Amino acid sequence: MDNITKKVKEEIERGWIGPDKSCPYHPCHFTGQDCTFCYCPFYPCHDEDLGQILRSKRGSDVWDCSYCLFIHRQETGKFVMSEIKRMGITEPKDPRMKSILTEAKARYFRKGRSMMVLGATSDAGKSIAVVAICRILHKRGYLVSPFKSQNMSLNSKVTRRGFEVAMIQTIQSKAAGLRNPDQYMNPILLKPKGDTISQVIVEGEPYGDFNVKDYYGKFVTGPGAEIVERNIEFLKKRYDAVVMEGAGSPAEINIYDKDIANIGAAKIADAPCILIVNVEWGGAFAYAVGTVKLIPEEDRGRIKGIILNNIRGDISRMAPGAKELEKILGIPVLGMVPHIGLELPLEDSETLRGMKSKGTGSMVISVVRLPRIANFTDLDPLFMEDTTVKFITEPEELEGTGAIVIPGTKNTVNDLMWMKEKGLDKAIKDLKGKVPILGICGGYQMMGLALEDPNGIEGPRGTVDGLGLFDNITRWNENNKKTIQDEGVFIRTGEPVTGYEVHMGDTEIREEPLFRIERFTGDETEGSFREKEMLFGTYIHGVLEKPSFRRFFLSFVKGGEGILSTSPPKDYDDLIEENIEKLASAFESNMDMEELMKILEGER
Amino acid sequence: MKVIFLGTSSGAGKTTVTALYCRYLSRKGVSVAPFKASNLSLNSYVTKEGHKIGTGQAFQAWVSGVEPTIDMNPVLLRPLGGGAIDVIVNGKKQSIPQEEVLKEACGAFDRLSKKYEAVVCEGSGSPAELNLLDRDVANIGMMRERNVPAVLVGDIERGGAFAAMYGTWLLIPEDVRPLLKGFIINRFRGDPSILGEAVERIEKLTGMSFIGTIPYMDLRFPEEDSLSDTRGGPEGPAMMEAFVKNADSLLETAEQYGLDLKKIEEISSS
Repeated sequence: MDNITKKVKEEIERGWIGPDKSCPYHPCHFTGQDCTFCYCPFYPCHDEDLGQILRSKRGSDVWDCSYCLFIHRQETGKFVMSEIKRMGITEPKDPRMKSILTEAKARYFRKGRSMMVLGATSDAGKSIAVVAICRILHKRGYLVSPFKSQNMSLNSKVTRRGFEVAMIQTIQSKAAGLRNPDQYMNPILLKPKGDTISQVIVEGEPYGDFNVKDYYGKFVTGPGAEIVERNIEFLKKRYDAVVMEGAGSPAEINIYDKDIANIGAAKIADAPCILIVNVEWGGAFAYAVGTVKLIPEEDRGRIKGIILNNIRGDISRMAPGAKELEKILGIPVLGMVPHIGLELPLEDSETLRGMKSKGTGSMVISVVRLPRIANFTDLDPLFMEDTTVKFITEPEELEGTGAIVIPGTKNTVNDLMWMKEKGLDKAIKDLKGKVPILGICGGYQMMGLALEDPNGIEGPRGTVDGLGLFDNITRWNENNKKTIQDEGVFIRTGEPVTGYEVHMGDTEIREEPLFRIERFTGDETEGSFREKEMLFGTYIHGVLEKPSFRRFFLSFVKGGEGILSTSPPKDYDDLIEENIEKLASAFESNMDMEELMKILEGER
Repeated sequence: MKVIFLGTSSGAGKTTVTALYCRYLSRKGVSVAPFKASNLSLNSYVTKEGHKIGTGQAFQAWVSGVEPTIDMNPVLLRPLGGGAIDVIVNGKKQSIPQEEVLKEACGAFDRLSKKYEAVVCEGSGSPAELNLLDRDVANIGMMRERNVPAVLVGDIERGGAFAAMYGTWLLIPEDVRPLLKGFIINRFRGDPSILGEAVERIEKLTGMSFIGTIPYMDLRFPEEDSLSDTRGGPEGPAMMEAFVKNADSLLETAEQYGLDLKKIEEISSS
């Protein structure tokens, strides 16, 4: 506490500084943040709009305002400092500080607005529309957060605090100019475990497994709506705008009353909605009309605009149809957005279904298409390189491959058994030392000598032989899930690696490590590496995003070094940023922005 | 007997359902021919007479046990890129006005009707494209000109299938709307009982009958749609046989799932 007082005193002496671009952590909250008060002069304010009481591990109450952004708004920072100076305050403990906070709140604190993007189908373009709107609003000076109440996806990421959140919300939060996505942006995450059962993650932590019937019958009608409400409220108190994304179609009339992902969430947030329709498949007008007309009349009025998305060719040929649509529904068509060639992560396994390969580059990388493949966004950075990425399920398909990647899985043991049934285990072992092999998470566990599961946590009780490429042993001792962000270096080059781990099971490593990870508690090593045999294994999802390790791995592909030398290495993060910009400008120039802003501000 | 299968979007499953129904009739001993007035496709099959038709109609003819002919797909539209299109009518590249295209299509349909007991038609894209309604040949055009009753096929995999059914029904011009008799939900996974209320609601709203669901199946029919990724055309009798076999097993699965083919027969005879 005294330490904080001292820091605040220094800040007061220093005066208003705005964004501090010289700080190595800048921007630690959001692009454009005010850094005048790195340490808050009001701590602990005990204002429930801004923070909350947390019980610490030692049992004492701690005021937690780590999610508060109020003091980092430029207008707040400027105002607070000018008041401090005007009143001649020099000590943080000055009793007049309280009145400054009250006045600052009266001037600049307002609950945020919300708006929701609904899709007539999955893949209508909801996610990318939210990406675009987040970026557009961010550029217009809004402090904005994405939100998707319920997301079904096997691609999750881990937040700085170790919570799980759907991958797409992390991209949207990047579009919003935020440094760190948080679990509030996707409070309910469904990770499918089979055709009918999903693991339900609530506010970033495992909550339980539900089948479809119980999910709607028990979860949604039980805690579901409350969870959505408290998270929307939480975000509204911290952001000017919450851009919400629906899930699937809002007109699934068989579950309409239990749908907390679409209109249900919009009602909770009192959000106006925009309906986006993918034109590419045909039938867009019918989808739009049917969706609006199937939504009960009392809710229909929430839909304030329609976006026709993914138009190939001449946009103007859609115009007469759009006019007619406006006439039929009495809802304006806000935009007609062309097809945009994007390089953004594949959102769900639906996109992978039936995909045999991607790219036509020189280096052929075979990815084992595990039945329960998870976090396959790990592979996306490979598409940046001169590669052909093949998704293989049969041993013969490995012929002539330049490299093998065994990706993550929702169930390591079962997918390993599947590989054995297919004969893929043998085929991969035969290629040891001939092509580079990389295992990520579940794939890494499989590469070891043995997988021990004495309590049957991951699969049936007992021990299963691994591929034996490494001498490691993985054990599932307790039902403890590890979710953590990793930041460190690739030992070989000393260059950075970033990513996150989400796994059960711990691996006893008997190999040379790949990475050195920085932790509060000191550095740790991670991964396994046999250079001569070209074997690589790691728990880190996103390991290929930074160019250093990705290029090192690919340099082992026959002829890889030559191929790689023709293009400069690129950070995957930069690619994502370029695509966000591309999306935002395409939406902005093809949408009636004035109307959109009016919808957001509740003027429609 | 005549019927047309319309899709709520491209790739909804029209081609497959048309083939299944052709197969069903053919196995019952009904002489049947497939028909699609016009086809927008980059893939084509060459008939014995040397005419190009859509590959979908060729497969459908095989499972009907008949030889593919140009009448089964009299108009082929071939995108040339940059928005330009080649119109191939009865095997010849032509530049003719819209009404003429419809006339030619009707002629081919009539010839098939004379020769076969049943003509099973497949629509093209969605019949409810507001910007194309007045130029439509393959969907509304045929329904109107030849009074063909229709069954809608919707893809539930992407979601929004009920909206698509209802929206399509709403947008179809009033004069042909009464010809919409039934709907099929394609690519369904899981327990069909969860659809119960929704299906009844669509029946009530539109007067169409629910014909059933078709489960998610790995189809071995290369989709002829220009959107789908198809490499190489069908080759030789072995390929043909494989298609027929596949159609038989699909048909069995669909029937097990409760696809009411008798209902379609009733519709076709109405």
